[in-house]
Amino acid sequence: MDKVEKTGKDTELKVKFFDRIFKPQVITLPNGNIVERPRSRTPFILLLLILVVFWAIRMTGFDMAMIIKRFSKLLDLLKKIFAPNWSFFPKVIKPLLDTIKMSILGTVIGCACALPVAILSSSNINKNAVTVTIFRFILGLIRTLPTLILAQVCALIFSLGTFAGTVAISIFTFGVVSKMLFESIETIDMGPFEAMEALGANKFQAFWSACIPQILPVYLSHSLYCFEMNVRASAILGYVGAGGLGITINERVGWRDYNGLGMVLLTLFVVVVAIEFLSSYLRKKLS
Amino acid sequence: MSEKLKKIEQSLDEKLTAAEMYASRPRKWLLYLIVVLIIVSLVTWSASDVNFTGVTTVGSEVAKGVFYGIFNPDMKLLFGTTETDVPYLLLQTIAIAVLGTLFGGILAIPFAFLAAENIMPKPVAYLFRILILLIRTIPSLVWALMWIRVTGPGAQCGVITQSVCSIGMISKMYITAIENLDTKILESLDAMGCTPFQKIRYGVIPQLTASFISTMIYRFDINLKDATTLGIVGAGGIGASLVQCLNSRRWAMVGSFIWGLMVLVMIIELISTKIRKKLAHGEY
Amino acid sequence: MIEFKNVYKTYPNGFTALKDINLKIEQGEFVAVIGLSGAGKSTILRCINRMHDITKGSLTVDGIDVNSLKGKELRRYRRKVGMIFQSFNLVSRSTAIKNVLTADVPDMPFFKVLFGIFSKDQKMRALESLDKVGILSKAYTRCDQLSGGQQQRVALARTLNQNPQIILADEPVSSLDPILARQVLQDFVRINKDYNITILLNIHHVDLALQYCDRVIGIREGQIVFDGPASTITQEQIDEVYNGTKVPTLGDGE
Repeated sequence: MDKVEKTGKDTELKVKFFDRIFKPQVITLPNGNIVERPRSRTPFILLLLILVVFWAIRMTGFDMAMIIKRFSKLLDLLKKIFAPNWSFFPKVIKPLLDTIKMSILGTVIGCACALPVAILSSSNINKNAVTVTIFRFILGLIRTLPTLILAQVCALIFSLGTFAGTVAISIFTFGVVSKMLFESIETIDMGPFEAMEALGANKFQAFWSACIPQILPVYLSHSLYCFEMNVRASAILGYVGAGGLGITINERVGWRDYNGLGMVLLTLFVVVVAIEFLSSYLRKKLS
Repeated sequence: MSEKLKKIEQSLDEKLTAAEMYASRPRKWLLYLIVVLIIVSLVTWSASDVNFTGVTTVGSEVAKGVFYGIFNPDMKLLFGTTETDVPYLLLQTIAIAVLGTLFGGILAIPFAFLAAENIMPKPVAYLFRILILLIRTIPSLVWALMWIRVTGPGAQCGVITQSVCSIGMISKMYITAIENLDTKILESLDAMGCTPFQKIRYGVIPQLTASFISTMIYRFDINLKDATTLGIVGAGGIGASLVQCLNSRRWAMVGSFIWGLMVLVMIIELISTKIRKKLAHGEY
Repeated sequence: MIEFKNVYKTYPNGFTALKDINLKIEQGEFVAVIGLSGAGKSTILRCINRMHDITKGSLTVDGIDVNSLKGKELRRYRRKVGMIFQSFNLVSRSTAIKNVLTADVPDMPFFKVLFGIFSKDQKMRALESLDKVGILSKAYTRCDQLSGGQQQRVALARTLNQNPQIILADEPVSSLDPILARQVLQDFVRINKDYNITILLNIHHVDLALQYCDRVIGIREGQIVFDGPASTITQEQIDEVYNGTKVPTLGDGE
């Protein structure tokens, strides 16, 4: 509630700034009543958007005609991918398990680290605004790093293999879950906490018995959601040498064995769908 | 619901004693134990194969190098204006994300309508849902590797890759918006004497535009981050240069790329959250 | 003039909502329809603008046989009959004036509808409609920023903007608190008197109905059990409408 009001005020200020430049139109009704019509922002936004798009097309050298002309090449690839090489399946299992292991371990480690940090960065529990800001800033920094770049750095530090991938996933999970979690923690009902304090409990006791039961289901749900993302993300980490399916994908593409690639992708598809299904079922149960 | 109420009423009628209530308490600990056991066994299973080989001597050098780079970025690279400097590469990354999101957002509209269960017959909706799922599960890197055969390396490959990849998530969110449409407004437009076309134009579209735009802005955030990684396979943007510098151990340059990336992503995230909040409970 | 002659209405599931309804409502009357939920209040209203078809009997409005209308004719007929809903049914993401302007849409050519081009004249009329219900100052505010009472007024302005002869209000105040409900009903009274528009409203609050409406129609199980001026209705008659259960007429009766 508080947040909404704040943003309301924010936008009001901005609107006023805009209206100061472009004065609202004053309309007088036949009976003398007056109403102010703020200038529409749509034309400005549209103009800006068109300019940005033109700039972006020039910047990227995007050429639709060329893509349409050479589109058949993609179709050739897709044809091969949709005719997977089934005999390749046995060679997919090991890296697939590696990928799943990496995501499980990475998710667990990341989530374990995220819980305390998230609690410390929620402004309704940690009343020290300075530490809250610092924690949030650090979390923000961590989230800006793309997983693949993280994996690349980890692969260089810890040598190639699943360990590097696990570390990358842990860091990524830590950033994402912490953020989602502290946002949820800030919406919990603080009434029970106050009631516990009124009963004579100290801060920790009150937090433990009043807040943790509220946080736990959300925490688990966020963790599961992140696990879903991680399975998908970890599948490509091997591309930079961090273990798992990515290595196989890199290899197949390198050898132009698209039927093999089709098999890898098919397996990945089945696994991802199964995990998503399971996880969304569990998350529904949690809420 | 009513069954539950009945049960409660029954238990109230029976007036159980405290001891009896205690005896019939729900036994949740078994469930908790099972959950914990499952998690522990999963973790041990997955940890079994992840062998920590220790930080190699090269590794510690890399770690030190990255830290050195972050604290001593190459200023000339960070604020230079040529095509290999950070600002230009960042702008290129933004351009890729802008076009990718815009095209993806437009392409996702037909997908979303065809996959919405409240508009389409169920078999059609399911077919398109599976298609969307397929698009979504193929990692963006793999899409990029495929498109690169069409476009050749460069920013263009990034644009077309992101256009396709974005369809998955964007249409999923569009579908939610379509399925949450407030249909009561259609009833009142009907009562006013509107034709079906007029009902769509004034009852459906105004409801959808805001959430569609909000979805696209949200996806723009993700695409921006994604665009940096696409560079690894040669699809333009800042990623390629970053990885090159990393591999050739030019730490100062690595540092400036990381700084550029962080600042950009943070600023964009801040702006997009603001705009989306405004769209949700905005002024116009 | 609205005239029901031996009207029956049976739903596809076999439920008979209206039984032998005979009713005459003159132009400019302000009528409240009271009764239990499911008694057929809503059905009566919705038959008048053909949101529901009647099964038997005849229903004429100003000499037009409502049940024979089709397609274009029906839509033209509906222009004359405004309808207001309990849940306002506004596009909450659009401004108040945009919602009011939608009342003009059925009369506009295709391309103007497509691009949402409204003339200055139309805009002025929309603003005047908003002025009539006293929320001119909120004309350019998004509806999700307005209170429930204000939203219902926007809905009322939208209906006024289609220049109706009849307004049907399906429980217009049920989701408003008592004070707002009174304000909205006062708006209705004013519009009824000033523009001679026939108003039919469904209402759960018997006390409000008696206070603001001229004529009360009591419905029980699809049949009219009371029809007369609000001033003459007795407590016994009200009780009869509500199946013999006692209903408080003072205070906040449900």
